[in-house]
Amino acid sequence: MGKYLLRRILQMIPVVLGTTLLVYALVFLLPGDPVKAMFGDKPINEAVAAQIRAEYHLDQPFIVQYFIYLKNALTLDFGNTFAGQPVIDEIGRAFPVTIKLGLMAFVFEAIFGVVFGIISGLKKGKWYDTVILIVSLLLISVPTFVTGFVLQYLLGIQWSILPVTAGADPTFLDLLMPAMVLGSVSMAYIIRLTRAEISSNIAEDYVRTARAKGMSNGQVMLRHVLRNSLIPVVTYLGQDIGGLMGGAMITEQIFNIHGIGFLTYQSILKGEANLVVSIVTLLMLIFVVCNLVVDMLYAALDPRIRYA
Amino acid sequence: MKKKALAFAAVACSMAMLLSACGGSSSNTASDTAGANIITAYNSEPQNPLIPSNTNETGGGKPGDLLFSRLVSFDKDGKASNEVAESITPNDDATQYTIKLKSGWKFTDGTPVTAESFTKAWSYAANAKNAQKASSFFSTIKGYDELQADGLKGTEQLSGLKVVDDTTFTVDLNQSDSVFPIKVGYLAFAPLPESFYKDPKAFGQKPVGNGPYKLDHWDHNKEIALVKNPDYKGNEEVKNDGVTFKVYTDDSAAYRDIQAGNLDVMESVPAAFTKTFKTDKKVQPYSEAGSVIQTFTIPSTLDHFKNDEEGQLRRQAISMAIDRDQIIDKVLNGNATAATDFTSPKTPGYSDSLNGADNLKFNAKKAKELWAKADAISKYDGPLTFSYNADGGAKPVYDAVVNQLKNNLGIDASTNPIPTFQEFRDAVTNRQMTGAFRTGWQPDYPSAENYLWQLYSTAAADGKGSNDGDYKNPDFDNLCLQAAAAKTTDDANKLYQQAQEILLKDLPAIPLYYSNANGVASLNIKSGYAFDWQNLPTYAAMSKK
Repeated sequence: MGKYLLRRILQMIPVVLGTTLLVYALVFLLPGDPVKAMFGDKPINEAVAAQIRAEYHLDQPFIVQYFIYLKNALTLDFGNTFAGQPVIDEIGRAFPVTIKLGLMAFVFEAIFGVVFGIISGLKKGKWYDTVILIVSLLLISVPTFVTGFVLQYLLGIQWSILPVTAGADPTFLDLLMPAMVLGSVSMAYIIRLTRAEISSNIAEDYVRTARAKGMSNGQVMLRHVLRNSLIPVVTYLGQDIGGLMGGAMITEQIFNIHGIGFLTYQSILKGEANLVVSIVTLLMLIFVVCNLVVDMLYAALDPRIRYA
Repeated sequence: MKKKALAFAAVACSMAMLLSACGGSSSNTASDTAGANIITAYNSEPQNPLIPSNTNETGGGKPGDLLFSRLVSFDKDGKASNEVAESITPNDDATQYTIKLKSGWKFTDGTPVTAESFTKAWSYAANAKNAQKASSFFSTIKGYDELQADGLKGTEQLSGLKVVDDTTFTVDLNQSDSVFPIKVGYLAFAPLPESFYKDPKAFGQKPVGNGPYKLDHWDHNKEIALVKNPDYKGNEEVKNDGVTFKVYTDDSAAYRDIQAGNLDVMESVPAAFTKTFKTDKKVQPYSEAGSVIQTFTIPSTLDHFKNDEEGQLRRQAISMAIDRDQIIDKVLNGNATAATDFTSPKTPGYSDSLNGADNLKFNAKKAKELWAKADAISKYDGPLTFSYNADGGAKPVYDAVVNQLKNNLGIDASTNPIPTFQEFRDAVTNRQMTGAFRTGWQPDYPSAENYLWQLYSTAAADGKGSNDGDYKNPDFDNLCLQAAAAKTTDDANKLYQQAQEILLKDLPAIPLYYSNANGVASLNIKSGYAFDWQNLPTYAAMSKK
């Protein structure tokens, strides 16, 4: 187990190097000159533009810029944004908000997804199974920004139940509606996944055997049906964490949440290579770690899987 | 196995508790300030530190304007009056100015505003070593070129600025400039306290000014909170206790907050609400002609459109074949005003009845006649392309323009969308346009000079300025130069009107409409809600009481 873990962690090094290089190259290849863009439609003072280029090493060839970034990053200096803010501060401000939102969405989709999935799966064909199926289909087919706008208008403005937008330093209540919107699509998938797994596992031979051996219904459900049904759900949830962290851009915009998604969008627009690369690397690390945790969880859920 | 299942549940529970704990701890900040008369305003995070001469975008410009008082201030119609200046006196040909300051002005750190507060700040801004983005505003002051060389220390001063005594200094200019007393109202010309030079970086995070407001705090990506400066005694009447600029990720989110009363004012209307905001009962709408003019330019180098009889006839024909009111009504939901000149209704000296303003009125019959006359000189039926940047919402306007030209003149017109503004401007500045292209202008200071000289003078042609169509007319240049040397602003404005009458005949660019200053305010705002010549809300005049 330990060896396996070490190997997986070592694998991250080339992945990090490759990603940073690739992302840095992509930002470099963006059309337009970020320094020219700083002047807007005002006349450009070439002497000033040259000063700014030198300060941010933008006058160097691409590969030199990349190695300067990498060298500084090793000493945990990720450079400054064009507004003079340390990149690390920018990320430090945005990331806790995204984590909070992501975790809330995650808990929301995991709890409601699994619970509704189980209810549906156990009582196939009942009227509430039909309702759950229709609602989940609706959530999957309607894009997030529509769900977001509609909920914002109804819950926030029309009925004043929840805060309309979150703003900086959002509270639990501020993030409740955004988290529901963000988690809604995944919740719908989890409902359908759990429902399908449960209803197929419940007809398996080993369930019949367990019942025949005189196990109580609760025991059979918990230890046999549920445990086996949750393996694909856990896989899905694990991969979804990465998505929730990086893919909240639309939700963040609708609800004015100053998280990673918005920061990424802004820094791409301004051509801030240091910021974009740092964020993407961080997201990628989260993704890799989440996948690792999921793989470990398999072993806990399924005794047949063992890592050597 | 049971243990593991329990652990799983425990993790889920503790996570939920952690989250609810996060929520419980923070209090509602809105209730703390509910009693105070603080205006909250829509903003984006400033792209630069809050140093006046390094601020060239609205995110920093809005708070900057309230933090720093300049020599002159503008009222909401753009009329200039002395603020820190007691007098600004030109010599005979307006190449030298003597500026006297009022005494008693103080920065919020207690130090006095002296002549040196201005001269050192202007020199700092002009000095290329200090990499200030608004440095080119100082290019008309003597000594500017010397400060663009390599190997400067950053402390060299502009040789055209001379301090006479604590409250007097003189400015030598490279050429006559009667508009200089208005230009000094631009944010980049703000005075700076001595503490700035010790640590410009720290100052940029916590600026110290002399304006109607002072900085309370700046939480990056969250808000910039300004509070009333009790020592301020300038022209602005401050009717509230403070203005807090809130950073938004999206203008739609801000609009929703205005509807809900969480935000007080914003100076734009998101595309999704342009049709409905005027009848929205949850907001106070504003929509009136503003200072931004939208035009399209036909390069003066284009065959059949050169500045001769044929070219003029064709330009006039095109201008008259466009039904501006219909475009405004059908495409822009009425949120614009048909153009009648080359400046704007918010520009001092504006007139809607200049000689030749008829050329901007829809007249399909006359347009056909003029086009036929031009055809008699040399036959031409197109093609004529109209280029615009596709990322700015200009598509429906140019589709309409092209359709009207096809129908009313019967020429082969077509649109040529270019994906982004950056690529579009690159093509314009590199003179790669082979037809008409979208142009527009937002003024830096309220003066006809800013609209005319920067856009249509020979000096600004050939890539040396913003004369993108390379229009050259010595008569026009002469009138502008006379205006620049005029004794009073009124005299200057009369000459600028004459200069405009030449433009209305030659039509180097064809004015379409003035974009309206659109905005909304929450129902909490009780008085003082209007927009100024910059299309910005009159922050200081607004009140919740």
